[in-house]
Formats: sequence, structure tokens, C-alpha cells
Amino acid sequence: MKNKRQLLFRIAAIVIILAVAAVMFVIGRGHTIYFDNKETSYNGQTVEAFYKVTVTTGEEKPSKLSKGDRGMTSIMGQTLSMTLEITDAEGEQPHAHKVSMKVPYGMDGITINIPALMAGLPQDAYLSEFVIEVPDTGATDEEIVTDEFDMGADM
Amino acid sequence: MKKSNNTKNSTDIRLLVQKFSVPLMFIIICAICIPLSGLSANMLINEIVTRIGRNAFLILSLLIPIMAGMGLNFGMTLGAMAAEIALIFVSDWQIVGIPGMVLAAIVSVPISVLLGIFCGKILNEAKGREMITSYIMSFFVNGIYQLVVLYLMGSIIPIKHGAIKLPRGYGIRNTVSLLSMRQKLDNLLAINVAGVKIPVLTFIIIALLCLFIVWFSRTKLGQDMRAVGQDMGVARDAGINVERTRIISIVMSTVLAGFGMIIYLQNMGNIATYSAHSQIGMFCIAALLVGGASVDRASIGNVFLGVILFHTMFIVAPKAGAAITGDSMIGEYFRVFVSYAVITIALVMYETNKRRAKSAAGQQLQAAQDAEEAAGKEKA
Repeated sequence: MKNKRQLLFRIAAIVIILAVAAVMFVIGRGHTIYFDNKETSYNGQTVEAFYKVTVTTGEEKPSKLSKGDRGMTSIMGQTLSMTLEITDAEGEQPHAHKVSMKVPYGMDGITINIPALMAGLPQDAYLSEFVIEVPDTGATDEEIVTDEFDMGADM
Repeated sequence: MKKSNNTKNSTDIRLLVQKFSVPLMFIIICAICIPLSGLSANMLINEIVTRIGRNAFLILSLLIPIMAGMGLNFGMTLGAMAAEIALIFVSDWQIVGIPGMVLAAIVSVPISVLLGIFCGKILNEAKGREMITSYIMSFFVNGIYQLVVLYLMGSIIPIKHGAIKLPRGYGIRNTVSLLSMRQKLDNLLAINVAGVKIPVLTFIIIALLCLFIVWFSRTKLGQDMRAVGQDMGVARDAGINVERTRIISIVMSTVLAGFGMIIYLQNMGNIATYSAHSQIGMFCIAALLVGGASVDRASIGNVFLGVILFHTMFIVAPKAGAAITGDSMIGEYFRVFVSYAVITIALVMYETNKRRAKSAAGQQLQAAQDAEEAAGKEKA
């Protein structure tokens, strides 16, 4: 009886730990978001870039994007919430929009085209994956240092 | 009577000085080096507070094996390696911030447990030689770690990101960036007191571990460990499963060392893949000994005193060395030399005391036998 109860407790503990790990996988997933203020075309429809866009996400410093600019931010979790302050043309007053959207789990880097997003185009028009290419330095490999007697190591 | 009191007092002081000779020596070294280093009090306190947060958890992981009489666990490196493997995975999965740390801790546990059981079983075969065995074990497991990280990751074990992998397509780079979790734990709930940043959450976690150790030492298992630490034979006669108790102590130490390494690396902000763990055991043990601990006796107080004194020396020695000789490398060599020297002194002192105690016990036994023989002759 005691052994059975002990086994149950152990299984419950493992299940709880696995559940916590699963939650961490979802809430801790990091994404790098790139904002483009660029002209784009979708199914023959062309969307012009804005004169100026200020993107604010969380407590990070706002990205100020002129025509053709790209900004960047990092987010944690699956929801991107941002405030866009859009100036359509020079001299005009900016108008603010709050945007919240789900981001695909499998993408590390995501490019969002703001003019396409604001024009109400479908997701595949404004959202695409940004793949970082590791620069080829020409070296076939880097030197691995496995010296366990590294006497100068600092704490 | 007065003379006898004076003699007793001077003997007490002598014993006290002898007992705390290592911390006293470090207090003197720090007292000399601090003014020479030219560091401001604010900067020095800031550095010490940072290093307490960074290292205390790791050093606390050494207390449980000492409780079980297994000496200084050089095998804590195994836990550090488990944590590094977990952090490499978490970095590749792009789990960031505190959730990334929690996930790394969860992933590190099974690896640490397996390594701890392996280490504990081997140490059970080498009773009385645990420290040297665990020291060599750490080199052995380091070889396996290198095999896994350098050849299996990216080829057999899936690693997706090119920023982590070596250009050849498998193996992990010398440095893995932990920028996405750098000081996330330290900065959460951090407060600033007179220009000194206090990582409150890290300190709360360290305090919880201290409470756990105090609580654990009062549990049945904790008492069993103490009994095993005092005398394995007596413990076995009392019905304690000595081997199992010793394995549990090593497993707990390895798991805690893994957690400690995660806290350490989040503070640093990167993993030196092939060297971060190699010196960690040595420096943690040195810090504990500097705090006045010995091979068979250590307390939470020793941990904190040790971190403060050892790391004050670490901070000021290069600057003091530069001020005295004009070469900061002298300070670097000095602090490394002192780290190894303090471990050597502690081990020599432990062995000397053990032999002295053994010899005193032998003499006592001899005297008792002589007295018995004399009494027998008198009777006859």
C-alpha cells in the first residue's frame, strides 16, 4: 500500500515537472521580429510604404522607421503586441493603432511588413520567415580549446 | 589559579587561531590588497554582491556530501556539465529568459541524476579516497562531455542553429551566447541600494536553498547522512543503508551543482563550452575552505564567509599585483596559486589531524591496557 502510494506520488511529480517544462516551451519561446516599412505587392495589388512609422513593443525603445527602413525587436511567447504610430505623409498628424497577433511557433525570425498588415492583406502577404545566414568566414573550422588546465580562468 | 586561567585563555586563543587560520590569512591578504588595488568601496561591494549571487548556490551544493562524510565533492563538475548540456539545448530551442532557465534546470536534472548515481557508485567502491576519486572522475566525464558536445551534437543529437554549431556542421562552438537570458534572474526584482545592485530574486533562491539544507539535515535522511559521515560501521549496524545514503548525497549535490551552474552562467551571459566547468569545482572548494570549512565539517556560514573573502581576493589581487609589480598578471598568478594552495593546506591539515586523533586514540588505548595489566598484577 505504502509502495503504491509512493509510486503514485513519484508519477505525479514527474507529470507536474513535464507539464511545467511544456509550459516553459510555450511561454519562453523567443522570436526576433523584423518590421519593414517597405512597399509590397500581393496578387497584383501594390501597397505603398508609409512616410514614417514608430513601432513600440513592451518596454523596449521604440523603432522609428522611415520609408524603406527595417526595425527589430525580440519577444518572448507567442503573442506580439505593438503600438504603431503611423504618419501617412510629411506634415500630417500620426495616427496610433494597437496591434496584437499570434506568431508562428516554428519561426525564430519573423519579418512583418507594416504597410501590408495595415492594408488588411492576408497573413502570407505581411508575415514571412527571416532566416539568419551564418556568414561563411572561409575557415573550415574554428579552433576548439579544451584545456582543462586553463589556469587564468576568472570566476 | 590566575596563572592557570591565563594559560587556559592563551591555549583557547591559540586553538581558535589554529582553527580559523585560513580565513584569518585571507582577511590579512584582503586588508593589504584592498587599499593597494585602488578600487572604490562602492565598486568593490558591487563586485562582491554580484559574485555572492553568482557562486553561493554552487558552493552550497558541496555541503551535503560533507555531511555524509564524503569530503569535498570534486564531482560537482558533473552537475556543471549537465547544466551546460541543458543550456545548449535550450539555446538551440530558442527558449529565452526565466522560462529558458527553468527549462534548462528541468532538462539538467535527469542528466545530473544519472551522472550522480554513476559517481556515487564509483565512490562507494573507493571509500576513504572519495576526493581524489571524484577529482579524477570529473576528468573522465569531461572526456565523455567533449565527445558528446564536440562530435555527437549536430550529427546524431539534433542541433538546428548555425550560430551554435561549428562551421563543419557538427559540434558546438567554443562559446555559446546566453544573451537572451543574461542576468534575467539577477535583474528581476533587483534593487539599487546606494549604487549597489542587489539581485534580490537570486538571493531569495540562495536563501531557500540554505533553508532546505537546514531542514534536510533534520530529516531522517539527513540524520542518516550524519550518522554515515561519523562512522559507517556504526551506521550500518544501526540499520542504515550506507551505500544508498552516500549515493543520494552525491546525486543531490550533482543536481544542485547543475542548478548552481545555470545561475552562474545566466550571470555571465555566455557558456565557454569546453572550459566553463573545468575550474568550477576547484574554485568552489577553495572558496568553501577559505570560509573556514574543513574536509569533514562545513556550514552555511563557511559558504558565505568563503565567497566574500575568496572573491574579494579575486577582485583585488590583479589590481594590487599591478600596483606592486607593474604587471597585473602577477596578481592573476597569485590568485590561482592561492586557490590551489588553500586546498592543499586544508587537505594536509585534515590528514594531520586525522593521524593525530588516531595516534591519540591509540595512546589512550595503550594507557588503558597498561592500567588494566597493572591492576591485574596487583590483584595477583
